[in-house]
Amino acid sequence: MTKPLKTTIGVILTAIMLFPVYWMVNVSFTKDTDMRADPPHLFPFNGTLEGYRAVLDQQLPYLGTSLLIGAGTVVLTLLLSAPAGFALAKLRPRGTGALNFVLLIAQMIPGIIMAMGFYAIYLRAGVLNTVPGLILADSTIAVPFGVLIFTAFMSGIPDELINAASIDGASKFRTFRSVILPVSRNAIVTVSLFAFLWAWSDFVFATTLDGGGDYQPITLGIYHYIGNNNQQWNAIMATAVIASIPATLLLIVAQRYVAAGVTAGAVKD
Amino acid sequence: MNIRGLGAALAVTACLLTACSSGGDGGDATSSKATEYTIWDPYPQFDDSSDWVKLLTKCGTDAGVTVKRTGYDTTDLTNKALLAAQQGNSPDVLIVDNPVVSTLAEAGVLTTTEDMKIDTTAVSPNLLAAGQQGGKTYGIPIGANTLALYYNKKVLDAAKVDPATIKDWASLTAALTKVKAAGKKGITFSAIGTEEGSFQFLPWFWGSGANLTQLDSAQGVAALTLWTDWLKNGYAPNSVLNNTQTTSWQEFAAGDFAFSENGTWQLANAKKTGFEYGIIPIPSQAGGTAPAPTGGEFVTAPVQSDTGKYPTTQKIVSCLTSADNALTTDTTLSYVAATDAVQQKQVAATPELKVWVEAVKAAKGRTSDDLGTKYPKISQPMWGAFQAALSGSKNPQQAMTDAQAAAGK
Amino acid sequence: MTSHVETLVRTRGSSRVRRARGQWAAWAFLAPVIIYLVAFYAYPLYRNLDLSLRHYTVRSFVQGDAPFSGVDNYKTVFSDPTFGPALLHTMVFTLVSIAFQFAIGLALAVFFTSHFKLSATLRALFLVPWLLPLIVSASTWSWMLNSDSGIVNYALSIFGVDQINWLTSPDWALTSVIIANIWIGIPFNLVILYSGLQGIPNDIYEAAALDGATGWQRFWRVTFPLLRPVSLITLLLGLVYTLKVFDLIWIMTKGGPTDASTTLATWSYRLSFGNLLPEFGPGAAVGNLLIIIALFFGLLYIRRQRRD
Repeated sequence: MTKPLKTTIGVILTAIMLFPVYWMVNVSFTKDTDMRADPPHLFPFNGTLEGYRAVLDQQLPYLGTSLLIGAGTVVLTLLLSAPAGFALAKLRPRGTGALNFVLLIAQMIPGIIMAMGFYAIYLRAGVLNTVPGLILADSTIAVPFGVLIFTAFMSGIPDELINAASIDGASKFRTFRSVILPVSRNAIVTVSLFAFLWAWSDFVFATTLDGGGDYQPITLGIYHYIGNNNQQWNAIMATAVIASIPATLLLIVAQRYVAAGVTAGAVKD
Repeated sequence: MNIRGLGAALAVTACLLTACSSGGDGGDATSSKATEYTIWDPYPQFDDSSDWVKLLTKCGTDAGVTVKRTGYDTTDLTNKALLAAQQGNSPDVLIVDNPVVSTLAEAGVLTTTEDMKIDTTAVSPNLLAAGQQGGKTYGIPIGANTLALYYNKKVLDAAKVDPATIKDWASLTAALTKVKAAGKKGITFSAIGTEEGSFQFLPWFWGSGANLTQLDSAQGVAALTLWTDWLKNGYAPNSVLNNTQTTSWQEFAAGDFAFSENGTWQLANAKKTGFEYGIIPIPSQAGGTAPAPTGGEFVTAPVQSDTGKYPTTQKIVSCLTSADNALTTDTTLSYVAATDAVQQKQVAATPELKVWVEAVKAAKGRTSDDLGTKYPKISQPMWGAFQAALSGSKNPQQAMTDAQAAAGK
Repeated sequence: MTSHVETLVRTRGSSRVRRARGQWAAWAFLAPVIIYLVAFYAYPLYRNLDLSLRHYTVRSFVQGDAPFSGVDNYKTVFSDPTFGPALLHTMVFTLVSIAFQFAIGLALAVFFTSHFKLSATLRALFLVPWLLPLIVSASTWSWMLNSDSGIVNYALSIFGVDQINWLTSPDWALTSVIIANIWIGIPFNLVILYSGLQGIPNDIYEAAALDGATGWQRFWRVTFPLLRPVSLITLLLGLVYTLKVFDLIWIMTKGGPTDASTTLATWSYRLSFGNLLPEFGPGAAVGNLLIIIALFFGLLYIRRQRRD
């Protein structure tokens, strides 16, 4: 396959994948009276900016909070899961099977049950309706995932690399910091990405643990448009469109970073 | 497991992580001199600049306290209220959808109006009934809404249908036949498999003379057959099976449908559609107005460990439901007031509300007739039945028989 | 294929650093996560178990005095007519979703490993579905699949296909939610598998090229075996997450019509939260059944991992 051909195919595949996203954008510009038009309007001709006006008036603070929560969750997740992944993949102490097992169970607990459990704990600890509390809760979605992913990726790192370091007299911690982490760039980016995305799109924790908070994430912001009897769909979709712009940019940057890391030969034997 | 010990350990961890900020609203409400009162409502669409929140703030200020208000999604609020009550963190004032009141009362979450010394004498008995159980009243309606049929005048004119002639099911179905023959669409409603669908089915169910304690009566089956035949004959779209009331409204707003079964709250949106509309009550099978279910929220006062807070709570509740404030709130929400006096004021100000006031007078609470928490156990099989019949998996008789069997368990 | 590749493939990750010396250090690395797990998962897990073993009414839920009822809730669940269909739908939903997500994700990951113009940007755009709150993406799907005014039926009608009741017919509802779920799961598989592919060093490919392997052979003999740890974990995580999916189905069909798209996860949610009168006990019991199913596959995974 030639490269221009690949680009063409890539663009077509992306277009198919993103069609539902286009449809969301389309609805975000549509007037109430046209939303269920039959046949549907393919383009928002004769559309409205009503949805966007509402969003720009009300949603920007929520967006900031979401970014903060996303970033906090990423940091916490990496701090906890990268060392654990290294230990499980390369040091393999006895009992790792059991730990893997616990990590799996941990991911199976329904989010709503986790949230109800946290509610009781947070209420007593006084962290209900705070941003750090929500970061902590959101990290529980990502930490078990992070440990498993780091384990899977780090077990692919050749042992000679670690042996060489320990011959040089490096401590385990130094080996981890200056040998393992640099070659685990892909795993770090992957885990960060998902930690961020989960925190970004979390709703269950947000509503249970931060429903009365002064700083709330964008998923709760959407509820401005979901009234008790009526939903304002163009504004809901407009919120999603606006909220996805900063995150999309972030993704594109992160993806370039992965690609750059690879071409620069970060993974080398 | 020793939960308290674990809790303490976690509190320490949490403290380390948050530098012991005391941002929580829990646990500190033990003193009678508390000056912050919490209010939860199901109106997340209103933010701090809205009339509703301003009213809450004002009622708090008048009672000498500050109010911390949170708006939750209405389906979320029941769980949230139960969970908070379990943890001893109930809000001081809780505004909930009326069929939820009996569930919360059963759970022992709510105080009675008698305990709180809240005067409910002015409230229409049929509206208050939704909040009554075992001879006790657990709240006071903030206003009410109900269902009626919106029609699109242009579509009816084109089909040569006079809405005034629609008095019973037969004449309604005849009108739908004419509309379809004229190349337009008939009626849209919401038959989704949730409480929302049951809410929309009840006017037809009750309008046939059926009773909730006997789903598979001949009348009940007749109501379901009416819906099923509409779908079969193409008078109603297949999408009703998955329509929320908002979706079905959007279908109507697109301008092709003759009728939409929808609520009082759509009045403001109806003016924005750009076509001429009218409203008729939902007809019963034999003729006359069918009893529609009452919608709308109740203002309730959850039980507190610190009973010293009650007098202030009582002031806030009375303030919210006082005649003048109720008028403001009901106008904002596009509801009908719960008392005769305020209803008359509303009609005087907006004559087109008259249809709705009539409809609310004929309306009936879902949990009334002392059904209370039996209602949810009937409602779920009932929505299962109309979903089964409309999707063609069962015939109406079979669907209702199975539903009755499930409800009777 | 001859020696170059096979030696390289074999030496990777086969030996391990001597055990005894690493023990203390290993636990030191693991300590934060273990404390974290105990602190944040023990209580919710205990609570879910407790909920499923007591007879809860709304009253006893609030007052905290529900009587112990042993396995009654489980018996209730097993004898419920919803149980059979829900289990079947869960299996179909999970297996079909994962098969497609993984195959499509892997194909795309391989496709994107060659660097062509825009490849990084397009790959990033593939992740956009993940950024949308689920309430929005699931609603968009039900919008597109609407029987009467949906774009999908409109497009099909151009080709003369009759109206398909995607969400409202018992024959199609499960298919529809599976399609939407595959769409949502592709980015997850793409990202992890792509990163996994990046971890395979070029020298192996060069060696394979020296051996004269074609592209297809290279994929099956080099890429696929080396990608195994990452593939296995992707499949396992995909399984766990797919078993858990309820919000997507709930928003699109509420599990209906007549349970046609009810899975164990949506059923558990409906019991505990989808009704005016919650039934926490049976709801938690169904949730625990899901945990057991996931555990079974987890065991398989760990045995697999041991063997490697």
